[in-house]
Amino acid sequence: MRTRAIIARAAGAGTFPALHAASPAPGAHSAPLAATSARSAPPVATNARRGPGAMLGGLAAALLCLVMALLVPATAARAHEATMAVITLREIAPGRFIGQWTMPPVDMSLQPIFPPHCKWEPPELVCGGSGLTGRVSFMGLGSRQSVATIRVIPREGPMEVYTVSAANPSVMAARNPGTDLAVWRDLAETYVNLGIDHILRGIDHLLFVLGLIWLVKGGWKLVKTITAFTVGHSISLAAATFGWVGVPERPLNAAIALSIVFVGVEIVKLQRGQVGLTARYPWSVAFAFGLLHGLGFATALTALGIPQATLPIALLFFNVGVEIGQLAFVMTVLALLWAHRQAQALLPRWGAAIPAYVIGSVASYWFLLRI
Amino acid sequence: MKKWLRLVTAAVALALAPTAAHAHLVDTRLGDFYSGALHPLTDLQQVLPWIALAVLAAFQGAQRARWIILVFPLALAAGGLVSLEVPLPSFGPVLGLVLVAVTGLAVAAAARLPLGVLLGVAVVMGLLHGAQNGAAMVATTDRVLFLSGMTAIGYGVITLATGSAIAFLRGAAWRPIALRAGGSWVAAVGIMVLGLNLARPIAG
Amino acid sequence: MKRDFPDAALPLALLMAAIPLSPAFAHTGTGVALGLESGFLHPLTGLDHLVAMVAVGLWGAQLGNPAIWVLPITFPLVMAVGGLIGLSGIDLPFVELIIAFSGIALGAMVAFSVRPPLWVAATLVGVFAIFHGYAHGRELPEAADAVSFAVGFVVATGLLHLSGILIGVLVGYEAGAKVVRACGAAIGCVGLYFLLGAVGFIE
Repeated sequence: MRTRAIIARAAGAGTFPALHAASPAPGAHSAPLAATSARSAPPVATNARRGPGAMLGGLAAALLCLVMALLVPATAARAHEATMAVITLREIAPGRFIGQWTMPPVDMSLQPIFPPHCKWEPPELVCGGSGLTGRVSFMGLGSRQSVATIRVIPREGPMEVYTVSAANPSVMAARNPGTDLAVWRDLAETYVNLGIDHILRGIDHLLFVLGLIWLVKGGWKLVKTITAFTVGHSISLAAATFGWVGVPERPLNAAIALSIVFVGVEIVKLQRGQVGLTARYPWSVAFAFGLLHGLGFATALTALGIPQATLPIALLFFNVGVEIGQLAFVMTVLALLWAHRQAQALLPRWGAAIPAYVIGSVASYWFLLRI
Repeated sequence: MKKWLRLVTAAVALALAPTAAHAHLVDTRLGDFYSGALHPLTDLQQVLPWIALAVLAAFQGAQRARWIILVFPLALAAGGLVSLEVPLPSFGPVLGLVLVAVTGLAVAAAARLPLGVLLGVAVVMGLLHGAQNGAAMVATTDRVLFLSGMTAIGYGVITLATGSAIAFLRGAAWRPIALRAGGSWVAAVGIMVLGLNLARPIAG
Repeated sequence: MKRDFPDAALPLALLMAAIPLSPAFAHTGTGVALGLESGFLHPLTGLDHLVAMVAVGLWGAQLGNPAIWVLPITFPLVMAVGGLIGLSGIDLPFVELIIAFSGIALGAMVAFSVRPPLWVAATLVGVFAIFHGYAHGRELPEAADAVSFAVGFVVATGLLHLSGILIGVLVGYEAGAKVVRACGAAIGCVGLYFLLGAVGFIE
């Protein structure tokens, strides 16, 4: 799905510089990730084999498959798309644009939707001081017209091209903020919110973090573990957003599900008195899986289609948002655990393993769903 | 001192929570789970008696209080499910206010209740509020997500409030009095709004 | 009684924690927020109500056990009764006069550190509570959101009591006791001012 959007984007813009290639560039670029995964995977697999339960053999095999999947670049792209529609916006005065269909749509009901602060009275678009920033999408995208492109020619600087497809229905328009504080604030607000939104909606990420909290219990060790997870996912989020590494979405999601299964297994092991890998090296395990989850975050960010100029800033704010959301979640869980201890409302001995099994089975179900 | 810090942090978090709730009311970016979770928080008529119920439970001691952590969210979820089939009873708003007044008065009196009565109040309140929140769903709302969000927030608020109240009660003699004064305020709100409702019934 | 407050930092901290409540609601602009805001400001805008409420806390602290806990717990309930009277449309006579007078009386009690039997104190405070609640009850039907208006003014009232009690903690010290009595005298003067206003001496 992502691949299609990118092809479309490239097709829409002849002069268009190679934007953040979310799909993997073949060759050297995909090597770093593959190497990291290969490094992190074997201890997991060997550990899993030692552990109890029938699930574990499958876990090891699946991780092997995952490594294979990561090594094989996903280049299966659809070469042909439905007809294009291209609208060009030329900035005639700061914040004022004249829009024209360079390639008119087949379906004339197709209309661009600009951010709320912009006034679109064809052919004029007035956006005021903050310029054309915010979410841009199209009304009427469907079977007849599946792709539309907006080309923005600013008074200064290079042309920006945004492509919207039915699979990828909106893009974030932005410009290099320079020293304009208002634009910085807009960017910060948009992407911090997106980050918070993404982590709080990403039940798989939250479940993994919950598992880590359960494993490490609390205190200084938990701070270190969560920090390691954060560092890990920040690194791979940046790498994937800039297009240095690319992972096809399905195996990635399956691998994320698998990481949660792993944590569930580790909790059960800990409760049976065995010292698992995570209990021994919590922060290295958290870091390794953080790399994996960061790739997942990146799919949310790249799906938005962010122009190259603002990509580093967008990435920064998105990451900040993710950390805010994650911190809020961790704090909530710790507060609830504290409250449970105060009220002496703890699970009875026979039920202590239930949460781990629930986490494990939900994640296994996701894994099966995603492969 | 660390314990204080935690208590105060919790208080601040509670004080700020309704603001966060308002921020997303119009534009629920986070999906129906979060709109379900935030819906009760925007209604003081629900949050107040929840906290009063938790404090009342804390007055019964941890051994009894812990049951409402289990019972109340279940009742809330059941009420939400019932609302899918049965329309809201007309006595709903009045019953809600009676619950505010009753839980407030019981806290003010620091009443020792049998476990059954405590859980009965929790069940009635959970069913009613679950049904009231459930009735707020529109045709496009994802029912499963909304109801699980509502149950999650009910569990969260009740657990945090019960735990905090139990921790708070452990200590100097003025602390139960502070909580009882708080209960008295809740009761005053309940009585007055109930009076208003009976004198001039509000729709809904 | 002093020993009941081993750690004054906590009530203070809680007070601080409660303060974000009003600014947080100030700008959200929904019915709940408006109700909370107007309810919270209502007891604070009438100086006669405000000082009388602080006087209740001061006097409670001065009287010590059991008044210090009987008063804050029963005051809201008695106030609610006054609120009901206000709601029911019954016209109580001389509302302004009695509120101003209770300010004078409470201020005088604190200033002269009078220690009447509990029931006398309770009656005096109760009369004030009824009239105070009555004044709020009259406003309730006009509120944007009745529950949040009630919560707002109840929280403000409670915070006023609390500040009275916290100042009242000073009675444990010799100089502090004088400060408390001076506060009482000041409250009495404010009450007198409003009394004169109510009978028409001062415009």
